[in-house]
Amino acid sequence: MSMLKAILPSLAFLRSRWLGCPLALMLTSTWALAQDKRWGPGEAASDYGYRFHDLFWLITILVSVAFALVVLLLAIPVLRDRERPGHRASFDHGKSLHDKRLTAVISIVTFIILDAWVLVIAMQDLREAYWAIPDAEDPQTYRVEVLAQQWAWNFRAPGVDGEFGTADDIITINELVVPKDRPVSFNMTSKDVIHALFLPEMRMKRDVNPGSINKTWFRPITAGDFTILCAELCGFAHYQMSGKLRVLEQGLFNEWEAEASKLASTAFDADDTEAQWAWDWEE
Amino acid sequence: MTSDHIHPEPTTFLKKHVFSVDHKVIAKQFLWFGLVWLGIGGIMAMMLRWQLANPGVPVPLFGKLLFPRTSGVIDPASYNTLFTMHGTIMIFLGLTPAMIGALGNWSIPLMIGARDMIFPTLNMLSFWTMVMGGAVGFYSLFVPLGATEAGWTGYPTLSTTVGAVGQGETLWAIAVFLIGASSIMGGINYITTVIRLRCPGMHWMRLPLTVWGLFLTSILNVLFIPVIGSAMIILVLDRVFGTTFYVPASIMSGGTGGDPILYQHLFWIFGHPEVYILILPAWGVVCDLLSFFARKPAFGYRASVGAMVAVTVLSAVVYGHHMFTTGLSAMLGESFMLLTMIISVPAEVLFFNWLHTLWKGNLRLTTPMLFAMSVIFVFGLGGLTGIYLATIGTDIFLHDTYFVVGHFHLTMAASALFGTFAAVYFWFPKMFGRMMSERLGKLHFWLSFVPLVIVFCIMFISGYAGMPRRYYDHTSTEYLRPLQHLNVATSVAAFLLGAAQLIFVYNFIKSRWWGEPAPQNPWEVGTLDWTTETPVPHYNFKTIPVVQCGPHEFSNPVLGPDTDWIYQTEKLPG
Ligand code: HEM
Ligand SMILES: [Cu+2]
Ligand SMILES: [Cu+2]
Repeated sequence: MSMLKAILPSLAFLRSRWLGCPLALMLTSTWALAQDKRWGPGEAASDYGYRFHDLFWLITILVSVAFALVVLLLAIPVLRDRERPGHRASFDHGKSLHDKRLTAVISIVTFIILDAWVLVIAMQDLREAYWAIPDAEDPQTYRVEVLAQQWAWNFRAPGVDGEFGTADDIITINELVVPKDRPVSFNMTSKDVIHALFLPEMRMKRDVNPGSINKTWFRPITAGDFTILCAELCGFAHYQMSGKLRVLEQGLFNEWEAEASKLASTAFDADDTEAQWAWDWEE
Repeated sequence: MTSDHIHPEPTTFLKKHVFSVDHKVIAKQFLWFGLVWLGIGGIMAMMLRWQLANPGVPVPLFGKLLFPRTSGVIDPASYNTLFTMHGTIMIFLGLTPAMIGALGNWSIPLMIGARDMIFPTLNMLSFWTMVMGGAVGFYSLFVPLGATEAGWTGYPTLSTTVGAVGQGETLWAIAVFLIGASSIMGGINYITTVIRLRCPGMHWMRLPLTVWGLFLTSILNVLFIPVIGSAMIILVLDRVFGTTFYVPASIMSGGTGGDPILYQHLFWIFGHPEVYILILPAWGVVCDLLSFFARKPAFGYRASVGAMVAVTVLSAVVYGHHMFTTGLSAMLGESFMLLTMIISVPAEVLFFNWLHTLWKGNLRLTTPMLFAMSVIFVFGLGGLTGIYLATIGTDIFLHDTYFVVGHFHLTMAASALFGTFAAVYFWFPKMFGRMMSERLGKLHFWLSFVPLVIVFCIMFISGYAGMPRRYYDHTSTEYLRPLQHLNVATSVAAFLLGAAQLIFVYNFIKSRWWGEPAPQNPWEVGTLDWTTETPVPHYNFKTIPVVQCGPHEFSNPVLGPDTDWIYQTEKLPG
């Protein structure tokens, strides 16, 4: 007991605000957070997302094997070839033809397994998915115009008439509603600085640049509420530039679209030029 | 090819220690300068990690001093300033002087048998230009309307007056320009020195690989720093004189307008080579130290040189991999993906040679050796995770997440930093005439290596889980909140890593003044720098040495059983 009394005063610094509080906070927050945690990005909600995961795990396996080999080849000499009396290093400049061949073969084989393999699959994915921006004329394609600004996402959908720049355009801020299973195609630009539209559950990301229109697309395959984030530093509220992506079943979506379009037409104000930012889609 | 232009040793304190033209003094100036800035940048990193683990909690100890208006809490704008300056400082004011300035100045003349750099005055100017750059950068933190906060990449239009009104951003650009000018001066000097001042017998294939690394780095510096210099001048024009090179017409009132993407091309044409500018000297040092301490010749010397040359060339044509989400066309995107992957071939050659150098060696696990070996480990991790980012299909998701932060810290930051530590521990005895404590050195190594790997590996998990970088607070978004435990864990490891650097500071300062006097050649290696007396006399070599063999003739059987090394100035028996 007396010893405890002797130690306690020396722990008084924990009570001072500058150290004690944060320290305690950190420990408790670690504990609290351990309750609700995540180690990965969650289930993918777009077909492209599955391609991402296939590729990601392929690379992970290849890379892990390669790294394990490096560590092994590092560990063996450390354990086996340490300096000790009477021990001498083998003398080898690696100049022989055999060594040169070995170097070349190993490098090329590693390249083929580690890089070329991934490259081929990636190319295939890109051509079939990422670059394959759907035809804007196709009625299946759901088109969205994105106007980013510090610090909000403005979305414009053509409404039931299927035309941008008309009274029934559905304009939403920080919330985007799209139909499930249909390709959603974006035309995006920014009012001020560069932003990036990041839909983590869709594994989709594309910069939104001022002065030009950037395009991308994805196909949601799960209905539900998802996340919209900004992934390009855009000022001090960058971290708060988030929004909600709602994916609705086709039937529900049609109801929502009709309703929202009607509402937009009644609320339309032709004099409000600020709100007339739509543009034409070109291929 | 000898340098015989001897000028007398200066006698005044100012000429001897401040405005010195002696490469050895300038090397020490660069070293102190770089270490101090590494410390400042490191403290900034600790503050970043504090905010990420405890969003909105006052910074302990000195928070009130730095952020009086928010009673010690880092506000979002200051957070952006902190990571911008952390990145800029670590790269341009920390590693550039410590790795290239100090190591280059120290080892190039001594290792090639020269009495000084070929342009000693330019050398001095290079240092003082960097000091000016540092001063401007530091001053930029305290100007009206705010410091820089557009990231070390400084993308417009965030970095133009559209996104950053403060003068800090202008000063940041000027600081980068000045530091760049300093690097160009250094580069010209190093290139010319290596070409012109090699002593008799020191032909290209007898150069220590450290010199090769520094030589190639200098070439990249001279070729690509002008590009970032131009980008910065244009940025200053846009900010101060109202031009619109980077500002599109759509957000201008009148005027024809320019293109913010132009900047990204300019920046990364420089920015990718910059990664290799920092890593090539580290690779050179690793190649040499592995051989020195494995008591074995560097395996495949020519292949290593070839690989480094190949990386130097290829580094110029891969920069587009930083712009996959910018809006590159399919053709450009796929080309850059392919080119980026091709760069892994020379990297594999280097790894193969390093591992082969260790194989069946006679390993002396000294502190410099441990740091050199750890570069293989951390660069391996960083390089391999680069494959995820070179592949467009995975980069789309991982771009601008913590995955990238983990990747570039391991490749550029950790590898170059550990390379620098290896070099400092290795050359300290020659530089300061005293030994550093091996025990403290090893302690420093383990307490740096383990937390560092933890810090940056957790970042791979956070990044894979979708955590964006440059975020002030990840708990403000529902999707990111369940990742906070990763942030806390990273920060705890980062604080350990930060604290471990105090061991180095203590060891460095104590050994500098009170360390045991160093023998002439404590590591028993044969390169020319170790043939000099300790401390190295004003003109390095009484007579210009004549080189008779390569730098790595370890354990050559012709040396007989009693010794396993030979000076480069000696002839191999038989
Ligand atoms: C002591 C170990 C270090 C820690 C814990 C650390 C931590 C961090 C953190 C937390 C960030 C912010 C990430 C973000 O929000 O995007 C960051 C950014 C950065 N760090 Fe470090 N860092 C360390 C050492 C270094 C070193 C040695 C370098 C030298 C090259 C470096 C270069 C950078 C760069 C270039 C950035 C990007 C800044 C930006 O986003 O504009 N770091 N670091
Ligand atoms: Cu944004
Ligand atoms: Cu790059």
